[in-house]
Amino acid sequence: MKKKIKRETVDIVANIIVTFFAILNLFPLYWLFTSSLKNSADVVKMPPDWIPKSPTFSNYVDVFQNQPALRWAFNSIVVSLVATIGVIIVSSLAAYAFSKLEFKGKDIIFLVFISSLMIPKEVMIVPLYRIIQNFNMANKLSGMIWPNVATAFGVFMLKGFFDTIHDSLREAAIIDGASEFQIFYKIMLPVVKPGIGALFILNFVQVWNDYLWQLVVGQEKSAKTLMVGIATLMQDLNPNFAYKMAGATVAAIPMLLIFIFFQQYFTRGITIGSVKE
Amino acid sequence: MMKINKKSLKQNLTGYLFIMPQLLLFLIFMVYPIFEGIRLSLYKIDYKTETFVGLQNYITLFKDPVFTQATINTIIFVVCIVALTVVFALFVASAVFDKDARYVSFIRGSYYIPVMVSMVVMSMIWSFLLNPANGLIPYLARQAGLPTVNFLGNRSLVKPVIIFITFTTNVGQAIILYIAAMIGVPKEIFEAAEVDGANRLEVIFKILIPLVRPTTIYITIINIIAVLKIFVVIQLLTGGGPNNASTTLMYYLYNNAFKYNRLGVASAVGVIMFIITLILSVPQLRAMFRGQEQ
Repeated sequence: MKKKIKRETVDIVANIIVTFFAILNLFPLYWLFTSSLKNSADVVKMPPDWIPKSPTFSNYVDVFQNQPALRWAFNSIVVSLVATIGVIIVSSLAAYAFSKLEFKGKDIIFLVFISSLMIPKEVMIVPLYRIIQNFNMANKLSGMIWPNVATAFGVFMLKGFFDTIHDSLREAAIIDGASEFQIFYKIMLPVVKPGIGALFILNFVQVWNDYLWQLVVGQEKSAKTLMVGIATLMQDLNPNFAYKMAGATVAAIPMLLIFIFFQQYFTRGITIGSVKE
Repeated sequence: MMKINKKSLKQNLTGYLFIMPQLLLFLIFMVYPIFEGIRLSLYKIDYKTETFVGLQNYITLFKDPVFTQATINTIIFVVCIVALTVVFALFVASAVFDKDARYVSFIRGSYYIPVMVSMVVMSMIWSFLLNPANGLIPYLARQAGLPTVNFLGNRSLVKPVIIFITFTTNVGQAIILYIAAMIGVPKEIFEAAEVDGANRLEVIFKILIPLVRPTTIYITIINIIAVLKIFVVIQLLTGGGPNNASTTLMYYLYNNAFKYNRLGVASAVGVIMFIITLILSVPQLRAMFRGQEQ
């Protein structure tokens, strides 16, 4: 993996700059977290305390007492989890068919799926919201979930994984008398597990951060997701900045944990969408 | 003959059964909204009544100075943020890609974490950092002897600030993509260049950057589309202000649809944005098809 190009001054200077900005880039998050631990007077004190003098969790207590933050977190988890499981089920079935089965119109349908990949659903938010209203899903978690299950990214991604499996595996199973669904479920699916893992993480995070759509669908307070709910603290009458920062920290922590535990999945998942050379 | 037909019928049926769930959802939530959006953009909509008005909504749009302003702002945001992202990500990736794996992973992580915690959280932090009364940045500016400025309330400052915040929050994704692409470049190419006496800058500019061109195209397109629908940072930090100086197409669409209840006009904005995205995504789609055929 490692390839050495001769050490040069320009390289060393470049890396010092890169490292400096990497650390500077994390400063806003440091400021977020330390501010959330200050009391309402210390948080706006100038010159500031770079390290909180007497850290307190009272802002967090306030967030959970004044706001249905647990309800919002629960909503976010349900929406992200169900949408992601849905994506994995429907897109692994379809990806398998596009990769291994022969049927009329296959190429055309796949072409249409791929063409939709770059279109953000936000541009058709008006008709989409009317559909959700007609299905009686406004202010419901199902309204936030279904449009996310419909996206074709998983089909494109998992087809790449199915394509790497040799056809002889399927042919042998057919001779053994296995049905198509058995082949898919018992033989093929276990082989593409790494692809499903990467898709799970990527899709979970994407739905978790699907702010605009969740804002539009969940307008009642109890139907909000964590991101949308926490964002309302910005307009909250409570002038305490530490309280707002505590809310923002609550919204940030789940994604930070996911990133720390699944870093390698991200690198893999993000690069799969790009061009194969 | 009959047997073959029967077999191919069964084959077709199996294929359709497998794609059926995805296809149904796709038709309901992707295909239908596109056509319905085009239809709605030709109607005036008052709650339950719809009146056909032809291209009136589009004419209204082009006559509205706020729409013009939103379009110009969006273009400025797209051009500046995408250019900054590509240049800076190339710089970071070309500096670190051949270093120790743990160092690479630290750099990748530091730049990617803001992407993870999302624009919502980052916007909240920046609104605190930039707050004129008690934010850290105005304080440091005062300490440095600069005049007191309201970064988000100043017509000429608000765009650069939004550009900077969006760029620093999102650049991590481009960095990850570039590092992966550069690690994938065969080692022999660099060795050959070194034998020829090329220095690092020459290797980077003459070999590395041309070789990762497909990644550059991909990053450019996904970022154009991402910035085109820029919304969160505008809603949470400026509300489009001051005086529409930071309003964007997506924010304009949202307000028309869900604040002013002008659904026909909002649909027309959506159709225009849809056409722009479709045109922009053509080069990427071409590359994807080629990748699939191989």
